[in-house]
Amino acid sequence: MEVIMSNENKIKLLMVDDEVKFLESISKRLVLKNFDVTTAVNGKEAIESAEKGFFDVAVVDFQMPGMDGAQVLRTLKEKHKYLEIIMLTGHATVDSAVECTKLGAFKYLEKPYDFENLVETIQEAYEARLKKKFEHNQKRMEEIQKLSISSSPLGLLRAMARLDDDEK
Amino acid sequence: MDSTVDFKNNDDLAFFGKVNASISHELKNILAIISEAAGLLQDLTAMAAKGQKIELEMLNACSQDIIEEIQRGFTTIKQMNTFSHSVDAPLKSVNLIDVLDLMINLVGFLSFAGKVRFDPPQDEASMISTCPFRLQNLVYHTLIFAFRSVGPDGEIQVAVHRESNGSARIAFSGLGTRDGLSFPSEETKKIASSIGAEIRMADNSQAIDILVSPFSENSG
Repeated sequence: MEVIMSNENKIKLLMVDDEVKFLESISKRLVLKNFDVTTAVNGKEAIESAEKGFFDVAVVDFQMPGMDGAQVLRTLKEKHKYLEIIMLTGHATVDSAVECTKLGAFKYLEKPYDFENLVETIQEAYEARLKKKFEHNQKRMEEIQKLSISSSPLGLLRAMARLDDDEK
Repeated sequence: MDSTVDFKNNDDLAFFGKVNASISHELKNILAIISEAAGLLQDLTAMAAKGQKIELEMLNACSQDIIEEIQRGFTTIKQMNTFSHSVDAPLKSVNLIDVLDLMINLVGFLSFAGKVRFDPPQDEASMISTCPFRLQNLVYHTLIFAFRSVGPDGEIQVAVHRESNGSARIAFSGLGTRDGLSFPSEETKKIASSIGAEIRMADNSQAIDILVSPFSENSG
């Protein structure tokens, strides 16, 4: 599948894997497919990158030294609720797949995977993210509309601040 | 097949399985790198076929990655082969330096493994008669404990010392003191005792010695 997008609309990917050569090769291939790719070699670096940058989808290796993939998944999901996360693993087990799903992973792929399948999965994750954001924004607009009828300007501002707090 | 075999509580089999699982994981990682590098070469070839300019340096880096990973694969398979053959003889004269070298490499495949400083004497072998497979089991589990105690960024030291009575002392030092870790387990003590070895932990828990005595059929 060919992903063609203008620069500002490229899907922003965060790739996390402790195998540096794997990370380099796969990133180059994804760049050739028109993704905007940032890499991280461990969980700490991934969380720092996600704090600094803005990402649509993260692809995270399950087994990493230090903070493992499940911990990275949990932290990223807590801090960035619309970020979709695809987990990669050397050896898939039912337990690890269940754990990742419970923690909110979009999908769980076993290495070595078919590259085109990964590209399609990233695309699907991106679409899921857009849908969730759209639904959220729509709900927010409806709430603001309701409030604007019944509230004073100051009451409306307070209510909007509360809605913003709920998003964090 | 004897359905009464208790695989879970067979320490030897459990160790053999654990090491082979980690080797297969390592080989899978190697194949994943080769697969991605080969895929990138394919993508670049397709771009060139369409008349797009490609960087020669990218081609070179890809080929180099494939060559290096194939070499890493050969080394891993050689280590797997050596480990598999360690069950061939229950009692054998082994070079402790080779045993340590192999176990340090195999434990290195585990995701939490940190660094090891191992400076064996260059000019002499450290031969001892023992059960190679069980000695490997002891060293492997000691290394796992040592790595867990220092965390992935830590470094431990390993050394071999010959004692005057013909025995040898494998010394693990630079260990950390993490809560909730204990060593050796009852199983590990049992393995040590089965080959006449002894595990001693320093009072501050930051060093472990494995004392290995020459072992014969009559030793037990």
